[in-house]
Amino acid sequence: MTSIVNIGRRVELVPIDTHFKDITIGLYRQQVNDTAVYRVHTYSRLDGVARRIQEVMQSMCILGGMQETSDGLLCFPCGEKHEAACRRVFLEACKHASGAPVEPRPLHILDKKSQLTISVESVGNGIYKVSSNGEGRSAARRITAIAAGLKKLGEMNTDPENSDDRIAFSCGHSHDALVGLLLVRAPNVRVILRQEEATASRGVLTAPSQQT
Amino acid sequence: MHAENDQTVKTMTGRERVLAALCNKPTDCTPVCNPTSVATVELMDLVDAPFPQANREPELMARLAATSYTELGFDTIMPVFTIIQESSALGCKIQWEQKDNWPTVKMREPIWEDVDDITIPKDFLTHPDTQCVLEAIKILKKEYGDEVAVIGKTMGPWSLGYHCFGVEPFLLLSLDDPGKTKLALDRMKEATVEFGIAQIEAGADALTLPDHATGDLVSGEYYKRYLRDLHIEFVERIPIPLILHICGRTVDRMEYIAQTGMAAFHFDSKNEPQESMDIIQERIALVGNINNPETLFAKDPEDVNAEVLKNLEAGVPLIGPECAIPLQTTIENLQEIPKAVKEWHRKTNMSTR
Repeated sequence: MTSIVNIGRRVELVPIDTHFKDITIGLYRQQVNDTAVYRVHTYSRLDGVARRIQEVMQSMCILGGMQETSDGLLCFPCGEKHEAACRRVFLEACKHASGAPVEPRPLHILDKKSQLTISVESVGNGIYKVSSNGEGRSAARRITAIAAGLKKLGEMNTDPENSDDRIAFSCGHSHDALVGLLLVRAPNVRVILRQEEATASRGVLTAPSQQT
Repeated sequence: MHAENDQTVKTMTGRERVLAALCNKPTDCTPVCNPTSVATVELMDLVDAPFPQANREPELMARLAATSYTELGFDTIMPVFTIIQESSALGCKIQWEQKDNWPTVKMREPIWEDVDDITIPKDFLTHPDTQCVLEAIKILKKEYGDEVAVIGKTMGPWSLGYHCFGVEPFLLLSLDDPGKTKLALDRMKEATVEFGIAQIEAGADALTLPDHATGDLVSGEYYKRYLRDLHIEFVERIPIPLILHICGRTVDRMEYIAQTGMAAFHFDSKNEPQESMDIIQERIALVGNINNPETLFAKDPEDVNAEVLKNLEAGVPLIGPECAIPLQTTIENLQEIPKAVKEWHRKTNMSTR
């Protein structure tokens, strides 16, 4: 009777895709053998949805360095799930309108708070080093903060040397595109957390006594 | 209450199961009941019936509501997703919102200031937002009426008081002038009865009656003083099973609720299933109480399963979410509710009573 099939565990949702007929798009995680794979899915049956889903997937490949499997699913080349990071890739991909150019983000940003250019560089074995074009305590603080932001957004680890400017993916592989994408948000993780809270509370019905 | 399956309870349809449980009769299996809303943004996509249109167009409302049965496997269909349909018909201003959010009454712009302002408009039942509900129930009754229970909803006067006077003015009135408050409730109750009876005529098998004397703002004594007798009157005047819905911690008023003769009380997860059953003592049924914001919205099917079992073990006779579920709830969590109920009955070989 039901037309819903088991497509894995939903890990993220865009309730309204403003770029395509306000459809809802979900990101679902499955485990195939030892590899975590993701499915971008909508229950909408409107004309053109398949193309829109394909566009989102292509954007995820470009923005997050993911790759498409022969089954039309997405995974990271390392096979690890990197779920928090993948959720951010998905959310960013859905922000792109159909036909709009999508490019991987560079591994450097202008940090508005310090006006420094912050760079991230892969040093091998999944380890990334954060640096800036400035010196002094202020620069060091921003490097530490941004490294911590990347660590949180990407569910990364502190580098084995325990230095404040290095973080590492547990898989031991490099993910340059992914780090570039996360770097944009890393300077202000609190904003992301507030956005997530606001998103979570939207659509929750409260009793009249709790409404304004 | 559950008892070992003695084969005396024949296999039931969802409708038979729900109505039997609401009448405190044995069932073949604990019914899975949704007295409020299980609409989600994904189900809206599935049947192309998004909010806010699905709250205003009967065909869309019916289509979205039916997914409760066709996709989720519940024993009920409830098309009245919102709590604002009759308030709109009474003249309240409504913020209809988008697909991903609930419509709300603009309570900062109340339509009534005094008891003498209360009037039920002549077009109350023909207003598009009440008509939509009535038409949707007709559609659902025709299409699914033999299989599942079609549940309607009519808001109680306390909730209407919040909507039409504003929350703070109405609560202050109840503190300052109990006589006027009772008069206000008495006048507003006619809307509850009129809309309820109209839904019965349209084909509803049972009605949810939300009356938001919620645990956070209103005490159990307040419930007794202002609402218990009114709710007894609703039972007398609305001749189908009524499911009272009040959010929040309500154990302090469950004794009074049990005295009303309502068929069931739809209770919040802030109340433990066993403590609630201990108070109610089978005088009326309980419906609930799977937590929404934490479990259904944010956790996994295993957690939903655990809460379903907790209710079943306590003997809660109808299982369902505690309130209208968040619109972004995952479908797999909702499907877990009937799945968990069926598994529990299979494992324990229990029918009810």
